[in-house]
Amino acid sequence: MRVIIFSWEYPPRVVGQLADYINALSTQLVKNKVKTYIVTYHESLTGTVEEESGVKVVRVANPVRIHIGVLTWDLTLNQEVERAAANIYYQADRQIDLINVHDWHFIPAAVTLKNALNIPFVYSVESLEDHRSPNSNTPYNMSIKSIEWLGFHEAKKVSVKSEWMRDEIIRIHNVPEEKVKVVSPSTDSWIKEVLGLYKTVAGGVNSK
Amino acid sequence: MKNKLSVMMLTWEFPPRVIGGISPHVFFLSKSLAKNGVKVYVVTCDFPGAQAREVIDGVEVYRVDSYKNPAPDFATWVYLMNLNMQREAAAIVNKLGNKIDIFHAHDWLVATAGIGLKHVFRKPLFVTMHSTEIGRRDGLHTDTEKMIHETEAWLTYEAWKVICCSDYMVSHVKWAFGLPADKLVMIRNGVNIKVYDEIEKNLESFRAKFALPEEKIVLYVGRIVYEKGIHVLINAVPKVLEKVNAKFIIVGSGYMKEQLLNIVRSMGLEHKVLFMGFVEDETLLRLQKCTDISIVPSLFEPFGIVALEAMAAKSPVVVSDTGGLSEIVDHNATGFKAYPNNPDSLAWGITKILLDENYKKYIRENAYRKVQEKYGWEKIAQQTKQIYKAVLGEYSKSFWA
Repeated sequence: MRVIIFSWEYPPRVVGQLADYINALSTQLVKNKVKTYIVTYHESLTGTVEEESGVKVVRVANPVRIHIGVLTWDLTLNQEVERAAANIYYQADRQIDLINVHDWHFIPAAVTLKNALNIPFVYSVESLEDHRSPNSNTPYNMSIKSIEWLGFHEAKKVSVKSEWMRDEIIRIHNVPEEKVKVVSPSTDSWIKEVLGLYKTVAGGVNSK
Repeated sequence: MKNKLSVMMLTWEFPPRVIGGISPHVFFLSKSLAKNGVKVYVVTCDFPGAQAREVIDGVEVYRVDSYKNPAPDFATWVYLMNLNMQREAAAIVNKLGNKIDIFHAHDWLVATAGIGLKHVFRKPLFVTMHSTEIGRRDGLHTDTEKMIHETEAWLTYEAWKVICCSDYMVSHVKWAFGLPADKLVMIRNGVNIKVYDEIEKNLESFRAKFALPEEKIVLYVGRIVYEKGIHVLINAVPKVLEKVNAKFIIVGSGYMKEQLLNIVRSMGLEHKVLFMGFVEDETLLRLQKCTDISIVPSLFEPFGIVALEAMAAKSPVVVSDTGGLSEIVDHNATGFKAYPNNPDSLAWGITKILLDENYKKYIRENAYRKVQEKYGWEKIAQQTKQIYKAVLGEYSKSFWA
């Protein structure tokens, strides 16, 4: 199996707990014979490197340096994420089974790649805009929520880390329950469950 | 090539959605390319009342969800709209079995969609730069302006060829983004002469709605924004009225409208200056046809399509001697060139044309002939097809092919 992971943080860029999680996830995937690529963001460390574990990491920077907000920064950066992923796809003889996108930042790239190249994606939810900015409905918040909604709508599967989060995305975004899988990183069977989830998604956008 | 050459145009405006000059440009270019054996798909923003999918003279038009949730500001909306456009265009190309040879973007408003489609499908990207932020704003003053400028630079970097509609724009774009000369292509913008020839000859009752029989009509058409220089025209109004009885008609809308209205009120000339706002195509064509003179007082003008339209409508033109206007108009031959940002010079030109019938007749006849010879869509489509073919030849030798 070949998987591309999208994450806006990955060591040495550590913003929250996602960076360490992606590190652990990718290392475990390689141990389980999954060919794993990570596309992530870094302003000065750019290009492709291979970790000791065998994980291939592509770091992209934003071609537009001056921005008026997180959204314009994010939406332009997505084009570079998309470009890097398309390059991986073509260099891998068009054999990429799925993309696993973590949080909302790189959902736009995953959505285009799915519609253009039939690569299905899993949307792994760390947190939601509704919780990060409670009771805030400015156009800025609404735009981020709409990107999250697009992710739920276009993803083949959604993974969450707790049953509470599963209930929240069903409540807030009306995601069908069968689309959501709880994969808790604190259990022993964690990586097996991730692999099980990937297997249900791999095989193209249109497969069941 | 075994199949017909096929191109996908990306544009944020396409009729009936008309904001500026890109809409008619893409409309006529696409139709003329289709007539010349190119398969053309247009992906554009949706518009109330317009069909999501239709075929116009062989051109397949797709109108996509232009992002209708509230957006924080215009520039952020543009990038959000591009996300939708890119997603839907990707699905269209996928469904067509990837049978698109070229993506052709028009201005930064579709930059990220164009760049994305290029890379996911690995096809050459063209861009027509109709304008630039640094030109529109006469410099880069705010973060928004700098961000748009860098997006434009990125788009021209990603494009295989950058098309500009005038020699002026070629050198401007080359300077603005530091592009190599061989990346730039000059293909003129065109004008549809036929629509003006087809208008009925007797427009007296139509004219009477706007001006008294003894008043000459002085027409401005365009967005009411700083770079178009309407304030220069407003300042010329009293100078013209000293010599000629005239009615000034301003067609278009924009952020400077209120400000200019106030100036006109303070001059006590509301009865002489008519702000029409945005008008229907039919009204616009007739106004262009029955006006005594058309004015293009721009401070920055990449091309100046309204001057060309006026010439096609056989209206004499006074333009400011800048940008693309300098190339369209030959002074004292096909129009009058005024000094830019100079109300006295503008008033001089207007008065001269309105008072000298022979001069007026001479320049409007020359102008009409020039438009017929140099600005027909047929020729523009042929040039565009030629450059598409040349690039596909280069592309076929690249590792993407």
